[in-house]
Amino acid sequence: MVTEPAYFLPRAQLGRLFEALRADGRRVVGPTLADRAVIYDELEGPAELPTGWETDTAPGTYRLRETGSDRSFDYVLPVTSWKRYTHPAVVPLARARRDGAKVDIEAIVAEPPSLAFVGVRACEIAALTIQERAMRAGPLGDADHAARRDAALIVAMECAAATSTCFCTSMGTGPEVEGGADLIASELDAGFVLRSGSPAGSDLLATLDLRLAEPVEVQGAAAQVAAVRARIGNPVAAEGLPQRLRAALDSPRWEEIAERCLACANCTLVCPTCFCTSVAVASDLDGLDSTTERHWDSCFSLGFGRVAGDANFRPKVKDRYRQWLTHKFSTWFDQFGSTGCVGCGRCVAWCPVGIDVREELGAIAPITAPAGPIPWPPAPAEGHAPAALSVVAPARHVTAVVERLTPETTDTVTLHVATSDEALLAARPGQFVMVELPAFATPAISISRIRQDGLDLTIRSAGAATAAIGALAPGAEVALRGPLGRGWPVESAIGRDVVIVAGGVGLAPLRPVIEAVMAERARFGAVRLYLGARTPGDRLFVAEMNALAGRADLEVAEIVDRAGPEWLGRVGIVTHLFDQARWSGDRVSAFVCGPERMMQATAAALADRGVDPAATWVTLERNMACGVGTCGHCQLGPFFVCRDGPVFSIAELGTAFGREGL
Amino acid sequence: MEPQELITVARRGARADVPKRPRIGVVKFASCDGCQLTLLDLEDELLAVAERVDLIEFAEATSRRSMGPFDVLFVEGSISTEEQVEEIARLRAVSHRLITIGACATAGGIQAIRNWFDLDEVRDTVYPEPTFVESLAQARPVSDFVAVDGELRGCPISPAQLREFLVALVTGRRAQLPDEAVCLECKRQGVVCVAVAGGIPCLGPVTRTGCGAICPAYGRGCYGCFGPRESANTASLASWFSDSRSAPEVSRLFSGFTAWSAPFRTTIDAHGGPPGQLVEPTEPEDA
Repeated sequence: MVTEPAYFLPRAQLGRLFEALRADGRRVVGPTLADRAVIYDELEGPAELPTGWETDTAPGTYRLRETGSDRSFDYVLPVTSWKRYTHPAVVPLARARRDGAKVDIEAIVAEPPSLAFVGVRACEIAALTIQERAMRAGPLGDADHAARRDAALIVAMECAAATSTCFCTSMGTGPEVEGGADLIASELDAGFVLRSGSPAGSDLLATLDLRLAEPVEVQGAAAQVAAVRARIGNPVAAEGLPQRLRAALDSPRWEEIAERCLACANCTLVCPTCFCTSVAVASDLDGLDSTTERHWDSCFSLGFGRVAGDANFRPKVKDRYRQWLTHKFSTWFDQFGSTGCVGCGRCVAWCPVGIDVREELGAIAPITAPAGPIPWPPAPAEGHAPAALSVVAPARHVTAVVERLTPETTDTVTLHVATSDEALLAARPGQFVMVELPAFATPAISISRIRQDGLDLTIRSAGAATAAIGALAPGAEVALRGPLGRGWPVESAIGRDVVIVAGGVGLAPLRPVIEAVMAERARFGAVRLYLGARTPGDRLFVAEMNALAGRADLEVAEIVDRAGPEWLGRVGIVTHLFDQARWSGDRVSAFVCGPERMMQATAAALADRGVDPAATWVTLERNMACGVGTCGHCQLGPFFVCRDGPVFSIAELGTAFGREGL
Repeated sequence: MEPQELITVARRGARADVPKRPRIGVVKFASCDGCQLTLLDLEDELLAVAERVDLIEFAEATSRRSMGPFDVLFVEGSISTEEQVEEIARLRAVSHRLITIGACATAGGIQAIRNWFDLDEVRDTVYPEPTFVESLAQARPVSDFVAVDGELRGCPISPAQLREFLVALVTGRRAQLPDEAVCLECKRQGVVCVAVAGGIPCLGPVTRTGCGAICPAYGRGCYGCFGPRESANTASLASWFSDSRSAPEVSRLFSGFTAWSAPFRTTIDAHGGPPGQLVEPTEPEDA
């Protein structure tokens, strides 16, 4: 951008920039004073800028200081970040109605206003780019975010001041603005040096019809930002930090931080790249009309890791702090190809007890740390390239009719739904759908059979939503969103022996695998099916499994944890079924689903028999909420379970599999 | 009561558990009635709620009285007398689900600050003729006496949370009553942190959300009326406060409407107990 010619806007004419932006149909958002701080808000004109004010920040402290100067942009960073406009705190998602058996759910599509962001710092431009990648890294991007981001014009303002919490220099995001803006400004005492950064910026400059900046003005601007760089120094040793953090998952420092950390979530909510959200449902008293909306949430809240059955993936504060820090500085690279931290220092200043992330990084992952074993395999090389932006479209809710229900066990039922939706019928084994009913939360449900005219969904009643879905009457409608996720790689088992191990309701997502294999039986080697259940009453698809057991071309074995008077079969855990088996693991592709502990034990037993971890596949159940990798709930190390899974190989997961608190 | 339990309770609100038209009661013990009145504050929706439930006991709204049984009983107030101990046990026995509402019922309320002092001294200080005052040595939350199935926090409780609880009850879904910090609400609303920007002591980071962050939105610190949130790290916050405040000052910050709740109580104890001392009763001045 430095090659673009520089123009000069005298201070007294700053209002003309506002007018030009408004003439372009935009509302202007920029810095202003409110409640003892600089915040971003809609501005009428330059009079509302924080002229003559500077900001001092330190860990846990933010103070305004009046200087009496004529300059308007000498403050450092507001508490607000631009995500308030590109990824608002609350966004309505869908409206749902129920009329008898009929269900109608439609996505709410945002029509954001055209905005001009004035005063965007270099670190904030980086943050906008980084968050956009995160919101659009899936196979399905976030339509709301894309619409808002596309509707914003960026007027950057290079920093002329730095404060003790700044560390953009370490993260490689500033203080110089090197792109990502439509217009790039630097404030001098007498006015502003302006350069274009895009065709829209060039149009604006043409409208303003300014004189070229004098060399002394251009040099003055450059000297200012150079002084900022020198002032900040290089507070964080970022080189190799992702790897050092990966090796520090068991650092004693996490416990120590947890004693100070309030888990209040302020760091994540002021962070300009944090994007995690939760969904809330509001309904009328009869549950006939409801709206869902998403709101900012945080990995620091206990509720964020909570799943059906009141289990929690991150019950301890040390787990939550580790999740945040390792995501921001390490697994973000795996997921989105860049750092998740831009060094703006908001998390340092706005921590109510002044925890300084720079200090913690130095203690947890010191530059001198030996490169320990890395807990999950390094991401593939292309994983470190910035994530490609995916196509965005509003969420697609397909209404389907429940034709009939088959009770499977006391708490599990199979819904047979009819649909002609081509995408749903093209579902792959192991994929899931989000099942939506007005007024209820939206659970992710495994597809247990892919038919020519619909899907079977097997649902265990684990909460109010799954109970309500399981209690539907034939003829009732549900809305489905999907199919989602990466399924079982059944093709990879062609020409190999197949071992399928299911625990309880875990048989549901495996049934399409069994059916795919049996449909083309001749293309596979030996096929072995091992079924476990808590009690005989918890066995799934009993008649079908009995029929399979009668066939000569596969081996079926069953076991229960606790027998009843009617049970004449084996008792114990599912791995007992192949403890004494003769088969060798070297030609085996294994597909495993059940409770996580059962899958861990099974994976270990399979490894003992020589099954390749890269050919041992499990499907993870997590607190999937959005289904498309934008809410953050189902994160596991470098993965979003909904988007990158739910099916993973043991080799892919590495030691992230079964690790407590991850 | 832990938040997980509350969710379990809400889950038990599935239709199978609560009849289509549940019999509901509202009763109070030592309290100001403000939480019960929140039910009347639902105004526009009150009639719609009344159509869907059978309100068989609610002294603030109806002269109908009932001895139960109740499908859901809302209980306001702390347990402060022997009579109340007996009465809450009787009510528990006739209530399928017992829900405590407000700071007094869930944490003991403002009156629990006297729990740190000698009852006789307190009584003599407050009442010129203390002979007829029958009181337990401490004002305590309902959950100290009987099992509680769920709670709505606050002083008073939030109309929005009460509505959510009732909607979840009648539609048979899980009530969404977040147990996170007030800070999340401040940040969503764009309220500038009074603690960081103003140096104002604020209990928001350790206090459960639900109030809509009213106090910080008006530029003052949260004083914890919704009580401790999940994972309330009061020790760390008190330690931060202690950098610029004396122990009695820190103790005072936690000595509010939910002072007797475990994390706040521990912090108050660690800083020398609640501030203040009993004063000699004085004759009221002429009006």
